[in-house]
Amino acid sequence: MLDDGLSPMAGGTDLLVPGRKAAGRGVALLEGLPGLDGVAMTAQGLRLGALASLAALERHPVIRERLPVLAQAIACLGSPLIRNMGTMGGNLVTASPAGDTLPALLVLEAVVELASRDGRRHLPVAEFLLGPGRTALGPGEIVAAVRIALPPPGASQHFEKVGRRDALAIAVASLAALIVRDEAGRVVEARLAVGSLAPTARRCPSAEAALPGRRLDREALLEAGRRIRDEISPKGDLRATAAYRREMAGRLPLRLLTLA
Amino acid sequence: MDADRDKGASPGAPRVDALDKACGRQRYAADETPPGCLLAGVKRAGIPHGRIVRLDTAAARAVPGVVTVLTRADVPGTNRQGIVHKDQPVLCGQRVRHHGDPVALVVAENKDALAAGLAAVEVAFEALPAVFDPEEALSPNAPLVHPDREGGNLLAHGLMEKGDAESALAGCDVVVAGRFATPAQDHVSLEPPNGLARLAPSGRLTMVVSTQAPFRDRFEIAQALGLDPQRIRIRAPYLGGGFGGKDGATVQCLLALAALRLPGRWIKMAWSREETFLAGYKRHAAVMDIRLGARADGTLEAIACAMCFDAGPYAHLSGEIMELGMEHAGGPYRIPHVRIEGSCAYTNNPVGGAFRGFGVVQACFAVERAMDMLARRLGRAPESLRLQNALRPGETSAVGVAAEPGTDVAACLNAALAHPLWTGREAWKQAAPAFTRRGVGLVAVQNAMGYGRGLPDHATAKLELTRQGTFRLYNSVPDMGQGNAAAFVAMAAQALGQPEAAVACVQPDTAACPPAGSSSASRTVYTFGNALLRACRTMAEKLRNRAALALLCDTPDRLVLTPGGVSDPATGRFVPLSVLAGFLIRDDRICIDQFVMPVVENPPDTGREFKLGFPHRYFTYGACLCGVEADELTGRVRLVQCLLTVACGKVFTLAGVEQQLAGAAAQGAGLALFEELALEGGRIRAGDLSTYLIPTSLDLPDIDCLPLPDDEPSGPLGIKGMGEVGIHGPGPAVAQALFDAVGLDAASLPITPEVVLAALEELTP
Amino acid sequence: MNEPMDIAFRLNGRPVELTTDPGRRAIDVLREDFGLTAAKEGCGSGECGACAVLVDGTARLSCLMLAAQLHGRDLTTAEGLGRPDAPHPIQTAFAVHGAVQCGYCTPGMTIAAAELLARDPAPDREAARRALSGNLCRCTGYVKIVDAVLAAGAALRGEES
Repeated sequence: MLDDGLSPMAGGTDLLVPGRKAAGRGVALLEGLPGLDGVAMTAQGLRLGALASLAALERHPVIRERLPVLAQAIACLGSPLIRNMGTMGGNLVTASPAGDTLPALLVLEAVVELASRDGRRHLPVAEFLLGPGRTALGPGEIVAAVRIALPPPGASQHFEKVGRRDALAIAVASLAALIVRDEAGRVVEARLAVGSLAPTARRCPSAEAALPGRRLDREALLEAGRRIRDEISPKGDLRATAAYRREMAGRLPLRLLTLA
Repeated sequence: MDADRDKGASPGAPRVDALDKACGRQRYAADETPPGCLLAGVKRAGIPHGRIVRLDTAAARAVPGVVTVLTRADVPGTNRQGIVHKDQPVLCGQRVRHHGDPVALVVAENKDALAAGLAAVEVAFEALPAVFDPEEALSPNAPLVHPDREGGNLLAHGLMEKGDAESALAGCDVVVAGRFATPAQDHVSLEPPNGLARLAPSGRLTMVVSTQAPFRDRFEIAQALGLDPQRIRIRAPYLGGGFGGKDGATVQCLLALAALRLPGRWIKMAWSREETFLAGYKRHAAVMDIRLGARADGTLEAIACAMCFDAGPYAHLSGEIMELGMEHAGGPYRIPHVRIEGSCAYTNNPVGGAFRGFGVVQACFAVERAMDMLARRLGRAPESLRLQNALRPGETSAVGVAAEPGTDVAACLNAALAHPLWTGREAWKQAAPAFTRRGVGLVAVQNAMGYGRGLPDHATAKLELTRQGTFRLYNSVPDMGQGNAAAFVAMAAQALGQPEAAVACVQPDTAACPPAGSSSASRTVYTFGNALLRACRTMAEKLRNRAALALLCDTPDRLVLTPGGVSDPATGRFVPLSVLAGFLIRDDRICIDQFVMPVVENPPDTGREFKLGFPHRYFTYGACLCGVEADELTGRVRLVQCLLTVACGKVFTLAGVEQQLAGAAAQGAGLALFEELALEGGRIRAGDLSTYLIPTSLDLPDIDCLPLPDDEPSGPLGIKGMGEVGIHGPGPAVAQALFDAVGLDAASLPITPEVVLAALEELTP
Repeated sequence: MNEPMDIAFRLNGRPVELTTDPGRRAIDVLREDFGLTAAKEGCGSGECGACAVLVDGTARLSCLMLAAQLHGRDLTTAEGLGRPDAPHPIQTAFAVHGAVQCGYCTPGMTIAAAELLARDPAPDREAARRALSGNLCRCTGYVKIVDAVLAAGAALRGEES
């Protein structure tokens, strides 16, 4: 069906909105296809089926326990009704710069499993997202799943979305963080990713490099914030100016001070 | 207060409309789709100001399923709609004056054909210079929105004066001056404007419309289309929200036009959410310059206020809205010297119109903010300055009208000051979590009830005893959700000694109900309720008299109406209403009575420009406390506490009062923090619900409502209107709370995170 | 237009079938073909929740569902939760607790509440607010809606509210 130019549709929460890509015509429903639903534990970690609803993922005990950054990101996506319909795969393929799960997937170093009649291939999320609404999906290809290796149990995970209201909000800025610290509280590894601050959600390698060896104190986090600002290219829109977004980039890391 | 409540309906009794609505069984206008119904839609301008140079409907007519395409040439009559001033075309023929102006009406068999037909209408414009700022619109060289109009872009202008404000300001110990602005606001009724129409072979036009003013609609339609208003019948089922956005023509004239051209067919028009943003009325954006002067001891001496309202391209009720704003510009305070000037300008922005709060929202924000500035200048607490100057019964208001007896605004403030949210505020602020700053604000509010002098605020109520011995009341004032229909049923049931189940309610229908004014202006339950209680008294007296015959009782006054009948306490005898009804002809089973709201008896000698609607006699007072949290990192503000105290006469049902107060406060909170149309060149950029943000359930606190003991002897069961008073407080109270929290002195709404962040920066560089 | 498709599903407890364009919106099928008007269109884009229905027990937006997606499903509208003469405890609670004003958002609210209470029989106010956060209401300020959801939970648990 995809060869006939139909758009593959998962939950429909983006595709069916009037004025968007399909608006009720020319879609191929993915639901019911085998292997696309559910969450599976594998030797490497979790495999989240592309059609798994965001609500199911939000409530999944392993995700809540081991991937809180993703659970928190999903919990502030759209609304409960949207999360009941929207899917992991849909959030990826929509590839909105403001896609709420994307920064979380980036710090989890998730891998996208792509399927077509020619077989399967795997791409890190960072390589899957090419631009606003643009992905590395090839012709006739769909997202089948997202694979996530479980981070070490002691890693701190954090997600914050800045929206104009507390539900049904499109992110003005977001920050996902995954921090591994040693027993003395010094950072061993830091992964930071932001949303709505660049054409795609993106990791912030320079900021990440500022943290290892340091404690998560105000100075270190301000330094990370300064570096994030240098790594992003925010735009202004109805929700916020570019200047405000840049300001958020610099400030959001400070919230990590509240990490235990 | 409990004693008062006991006289009302029992607090636990649900509204009669509630269960049908909860079960999804209530049929709104939008739910009516008769078989074979055609669909109508409008091609809209899409530019702010222009001359139509070409309008070609041939391609649209050729679309399969399109039944007809109508343009200005098809409109009989004046083609002018409007409530007071008739200046808005039903369909534009030569010129469009805002993005949402209608240029063609397409009628089709189904949705797809309608969409294709609308897309196929070819229209070309010559762009004309446009004006988007109401103050600029009043400058001599501004583009004219109505070029041949005497007076140019100045739609309305007026002055309200008392004493000598300029001299008094010159002599004040302290004068503060500020410029304040409030934005346009969309009603976001969950049910967008919609309706149906059919022209019967008899020539009678029948319409079902989601409207707040079915009786007045007939005249607006008749005027615009050259019809006989007596040949128009309008039904107004329960509305899915209105808030003013359905007070005036939305779909009415367009639907009627389509029906005239396609006799015998039902035609339906339902605006989408986007079309509602584009074409619907908005609360007027306003700019207000205030100078407020006081003695060193805080006694207010004088206020000078200039208000400028953005009317958009058509009058709607702009002049009247400005007028009510002006009447409230001095706040609920004792001020001897007052000068309030209002002007209202045509622009090429969206059309300004009625919205809950009707000019008062704007005025209240400005004067309350000015009071905060003055308090700061005097080194006084904001609440103590307000209490010191609170208008008391018998004293003259800013515009020279003596305040009526009753619970006053000082009592409302004091009740808020005694509330734990106020007394505990310091501890609450101290307990703020990391990165969070808390602040509390408290303001005073007031809202006039009714249309004001010059425009009779009237209602007529009809009550029928059915052949079966139950009652049927004919509600003439649409219920847009405020619960007036349920209140009328409860009032009638109580007055007639019957259970509510014995009182059926017919919703407004110009063919069945006697006329009444609109569902608006905090007047609905007061005015219609008075008319209804009169009809109930007449009915009760009649039934006692008729029953006296059956009960062989020569003193009918001793008889009482009891559930299902009339009883004689002296003998214990009882005659069922069903039996009585069987003996009465229909004329005798109907009681009709009316009421007109009393007006100010000695109006002040000011505001003479205003023939309709000035001044008002009755005011509802209140106070509003808001507690906010501002996030230090993002500037995001959350409203986490909200208390409304109100003096609104007696409380008929506590739930009813709470519903109106909390709902109004929620809209005020939206205006304070979220809602912004983001106009650019007259175009609404935030024209859907993903960009125009109203509060969700996570954005509001549990709003506390505290009605105070009060009584309005002229009201039905002692009540006053209170549908609007709750909306005014959150804007200025949130602003004051943010000053408390982060030192931000907001002069305009909404207060965005960026503005808050800037204030935080100043606080902690 | 797509080729008409035979669609069979359960609607408010009864099996139904229709042949229609599978690309039509579910809300239109409910309102136009079945005359069930509890699901309201407030925005048509998933931003208001007035069109919510239960699909296999999960609250979904019928304005963002296609007719084809109804096939094989079990669908409940507010009409199917209860009737005025035999209301669902949630509907009763909404009426008794003053949660209904204009009522246009109410059916969708009751659907969201039904899903919540099936999953979490004793939610606190915060949980109720979260569960309803995709359903806009312009009349109430939500306070009494939250009251009603908690009371309905208590009633469903067999407790006095």
